[in-house]
Amino acid sequence: MKVNPTATRNTSRRFTLWMLLPLLAVAGVAVGLPLVYTLYLSLTDFSLIQQGVAGFVGFDNYWQSFTNQALWNAIGTTGTYVFIAVSFETAIGLMIALALQKQRWARDFTRSMLLAPMFITPIAVGLTFRFLLNDQLGAIPYLLDQVGLSYDFLGSGNALFTLAMIDVWQWTPFMVLLLLAGLESVPKQPLEAARVDGAGSFYIFRRITLPLLTPILSVAILLRSLDALKVFEYVYATTRGGPGTETETIQYFTYQTGIQFFRLGEASAMAFILLAIVLPLIVVLFRRLESKA
Amino acid sequence: MVRQQLKTSLRVIFLLAALITVLFPLVWIALASFKTAPQLNDPSLLFFEPSLVNWKFVLEAGILQAAGRSAFVATVTVAISAVVGSVAAYVISTYKTGGSATKFGILAAQVLPPAVLVFPFLTLSYVLGVNDTLIPLIFAHLSFVLPVVTWFLIGFFDSVPRSLEEQARVDGFTRFKAFLLVVMPQVYPGLGAAIIFGFTLSWNDMFYGLILTPPNSTILPVAIAGFNTFRGVELGSMSAAILVAVVPVVIASFFIQKRLVQGISGGAVKY
Amino acid sequence: MKKNLMKVLAVAGSTMLIASGCATGTGVQEESSGTGEVAQETAATVRILMEAVPDTDIVQSLISEFNVEYPNITVEIETLGFDQMRDRLIASFQSSASTYDLIVADNPWMDDFAPAGFLEALDERIANTPDFDHDDFFAPLREIADVDGVTYGVPFYNYALGYLYNQKSLEQAGVTVPTTLEELVETSKALTTNGQTGLAMQPQRGYKIFEEWANFLFAAGGSIYNEDGTGALDSPEAEAALEAYIDLHNNAAPENSLNWAFDEAFRSVSTGQSAAMVSYNWNLPALNSPDSGDFAGSFKLAPMPGGKQVLGSWSWAIPSNSAAPDAAWAFVSWLTSKQIDVERMIAGGAAVRQSSLQNKTLIAEGFGADYYEAIAAILSNAAPLSEGASGEEMIQAVGTELSKAVSGTKSVKDALADANAAINEIQG
Repeated sequence: MKVNPTATRNTSRRFTLWMLLPLLAVAGVAVGLPLVYTLYLSLTDFSLIQQGVAGFVGFDNYWQSFTNQALWNAIGTTGTYVFIAVSFETAIGLMIALALQKQRWARDFTRSMLLAPMFITPIAVGLTFRFLLNDQLGAIPYLLDQVGLSYDFLGSGNALFTLAMIDVWQWTPFMVLLLLAGLESVPKQPLEAARVDGAGSFYIFRRITLPLLTPILSVAILLRSLDALKVFEYVYATTRGGPGTETETIQYFTYQTGIQFFRLGEASAMAFILLAIVLPLIVVLFRRLESKA
Repeated sequence: MVRQQLKTSLRVIFLLAALITVLFPLVWIALASFKTAPQLNDPSLLFFEPSLVNWKFVLEAGILQAAGRSAFVATVTVAISAVVGSVAAYVISTYKTGGSATKFGILAAQVLPPAVLVFPFLTLSYVLGVNDTLIPLIFAHLSFVLPVVTWFLIGFFDSVPRSLEEQARVDGFTRFKAFLLVVMPQVYPGLGAAIIFGFTLSWNDMFYGLILTPPNSTILPVAIAGFNTFRGVELGSMSAAILVAVVPVVIASFFIQKRLVQGISGGAVKY
Repeated sequence: MKKNLMKVLAVAGSTMLIASGCATGTGVQEESSGTGEVAQETAATVRILMEAVPDTDIVQSLISEFNVEYPNITVEIETLGFDQMRDRLIASFQSSASTYDLIVADNPWMDDFAPAGFLEALDERIANTPDFDHDDFFAPLREIADVDGVTYGVPFYNYALGYLYNQKSLEQAGVTVPTTLEELVETSKALTTNGQTGLAMQPQRGYKIFEEWANFLFAAGGSIYNEDGTGALDSPEAEAALEAYIDLHNNAAPENSLNWAFDEAFRSVSTGQSAAMVSYNWNLPALNSPDSGDFAGSFKLAPMPGGKQVLGSWSWAIPSNSAAPDAAWAFVSWLTSKQIDVERMIAGGAAVRQSSLQNKTLIAEGFGADYYEAIAAILSNAAPLSEGASGEEMIQAVGTELSKAVSGTKSVKDALADANAAINEIQG
C-alpha cells in the first residue's frame, strides 16, 4: 500500500507535536513563568523589605555577583561536594544493583529496605546525623571510642567530606533504584549469547552490560548531580556553612543572600550565573557520554 | 563450583554490609522514637523500657493530617508527571522532537535554587487567587518532578530498540497504539522507578511547602522540621515523625516495584 | 514551533511583570487608629504567627483568661520553628492581603521592618492605654523596639545570656563563680577533669559563635560598636577576648565540638558531661526540671563575668496590613499588663518588666529568689549584637570570621580586622 510521503510526514509531525504539547504546557507554567520572573528580578534591586515595585538596575547584580569571591568559593565547594558524593554513589550503587539483580531469596524485601533512606526528608537526615555523629551523645563516636578512635566529623577539613557521606547514605539508593531498573531493561539475549560463547563475567559486564546501560547510567549521574548541586538541608542542620566557609554551598549562600539578608534581586542574579555555568556543562558532558555508547 | 560459591558468599556479605549501613541510622531512629528525653542523651542505650510519649505527642500534633496532605500533593504531582512525561519522553527519544532546547530547557528549574524560585510562585499564587489552596505547591513540585520523570523515561526509551515499534507499525498499529501497547510496556521498570523517585522528591520537599501552603495546613516535612525548636531538637518526637514518613512509602514502593518492575515478561518481541 | 514558544513565554512573562507590580508590597499603609483602651465588646479575629518556644505555650494557655475580658475576640496562634517562622513572616509581607494581624519580631529585624513600613507605630496607643507604664520595661528591651525615636514594638520576652553552671561541680573542684574573663578561663580549666569538661561552648559558624563570644568581648571590656556607630572589633580588648575564647575551646570545651550550637551544649550540661555553659537565662528551669536527668536541681544562674551580657529580645508588633489592629492591641496590652505579666512569669515566662521581678507572689511561687535577682542583674546591663539596619547580615559576617579564627584557618588579628571591616561595610 503506497502512502503519500508528504502525508506521512505531516501526520508524523502532528503526532509528535501533540505528544509534546502537554509537557510544554505544564512546563511552561511550572518552569517557564518562574524562570522569566526570576530573570526579571535579577535585573532589579528588589529587596524583600521594600514596598512597591523594584527599581531596574540592569546588569549591576550580575557584575556584583561575578566579582564576589564568596560566590566562587561557594561554587567551588559545591563542585567538590558533588564530585565526591556522586562518584561514591555511582560506584557503590552499581555494585549493589549488580548484586541485587543476582539475588534470589528475600530480594524484594532487601530492595525496599535499601530504598528507605531516600524517603526521609533531607532536613531530618541532617538532624539525625548531627546527633549520631555528636561526640558525646552519638552512637557512631561511641562505637569508634570502643576501638579507641576519635574523629572530628564536623571539624575543620572534615566537614565537607562528612556531609558528602551523608549524601551518599541517603542517595545511593536512588542510584540503586535507577540502575536496577536499567539492568532489568537490558535485553538478555546478548548476555546469554556471550555466556554461551564462554566469556567471563567481568568481560560480559565491561563489554556488553555497561555499554547497554550507558543511557540510563548517564541519566542517573546527571539527575543525581543536579540534585546534589542544590544541597542545603544537610548544611543547614549541621554546620550552617562552617567551619569558616568550608561547607558554604551555593544554595546556602543564595538562601542567606536572598532570604536572610533580603537581597532577592542579587540572589536571582546569582542563580542565573549558576545556570549559565551548569547548563552548558550538562549539555557538553551529556553529549560526550551519549557518544560513547 | 567452589568459585561460584565464593562469589555468592561475597555477594551476600556485600549486600548484608549495605543493609547494615542503611539500616543502622534507621534502627537508631526507630529506637529513639520510643525513648524519653533523658534516655536520648545516652548513646549506648539499646535495651530500655519503651515509652509511647513521643508517639502520643506526634499524633496529637496532627502528623497524620500533614502526611495526608503530603500524600495528596505527591500523588497528584506524580500522576501528572507520569502521564505528561511519558508521552513527551517517547517522542523526544524516538523522534528527537523539540530538539535539545526542550530537553535541556526543562532542566533549568532543577538548577535554580528553590530559595530564589519560590517567590515567583508565591506572587503568581496571589495574582491568580489560589494562595489558599495546595495548587501553587503542586505546580512548584511539578517544576522539579516533571523534568526528572521525563528524563528518566527518555533514558529508558533510548534503550528500547526501534525494531519493536517498526514491527508494530507493520502489523497495522497506529502510532499512538504502537506507543501505548508495545513500546510503553518495555519501559515499565523505568516508569516504576520514575514514579517512586518522583513521589519521593515531592514527599520530601520542605522549602516550597513552607512558603506556599495556606496557614495551618502544614505538610509532613515542615512538620518534621518543626521539631527543631528553640529549646533544642526534640529527637524523640522527630524520630516518631520520621517513621510516619518513611514506613508507608517503603511499603508502597515494595508493591510498586513488584508490579511494575517485574512485569516486563511477555510482550517483548524476540529478535 | 520554537518561535511560537518564545512568543508565548514573552507574553506570559510581561503579563506577570505587570501583575506583580500590583501584587508585591504590603499595600496601603494604614493610619494607626491610636486607640489605647479597646472596647470590651470588640469583635474580631486576631491571627498571630509565633515561634515555637516555651513562652508561646504560656501565651496560648492565657487566651481563655483573655476571653473573659474580651469575649468576642478570637485569638488564633500559628507556631513554627525560628527559621521557618522568619521565612514565612517575610513571605507574608510580600502579599497584598493581610495574613497575620499580630506578630513577634526578633530584635535585628526591627531596624529593617520599621523603615520598610511593615509595622504600625505604637506611641499613640501606648500613651492612650491607662496604667501601661511603658518605662517599667527594662531599658535595653525598650530601646530595641524603638527605631529612630518611634516605638514599634512592646517587649514579649528577652533572651539575655548568662552563665549557667552545675553548683556541685564547682564545689567539687573548689572554685567559685567567675567574675572576670581571666577567672572564667581559669575556672573552666579547673573544672575540666576526666569525666567532665569545664565549658560546653557553641562555636557554630554565624549567629551562635558571635552570640557566645560577644559576652567574652564585654567581659574583656570591649564593645561591638564605637560611639559613632563604627565597628570596634579592631581593639586589644577584642583580641584578648578572642584569644581567651580559642584557649577555652582547645582546653576546656568538649572534644570535636566545633559545630556545636545550643542543643549539643545544653544536653552536654544536663547529662553532667560539662560543668557550665553560656546560655539564655530562662533555660535554668529547664535544666532543673525533675524529668530532665540525673543532675536536675544542681544548676544555677549567674551574670556573665564582667557583668555585661549579650541580649536578644522578641517584641510584639502590629503589621501595617493587619486586619484587626485594635483587637491585636487589646491582646498585647492585656498580656503585657503588670498583673498578667506576673502570671506569665509564674508559669515560666521570661522577664520583661522590672516590677514583675520584685513581685512577692512571683518570688514565692516561681523558681527561687536568687534566680530572679540574677535576671534583674543581667537585664540591667545587656546589649544586643546588632544595632541598625542589615543586622542579620552583619551578624553572619562577623560570625564567619570568628569561626575561621577558632578553627585555626585565620589568625586572630586578621579575623577581627576583617570582621570589623564587614561591620563598617554592611552597616556604615
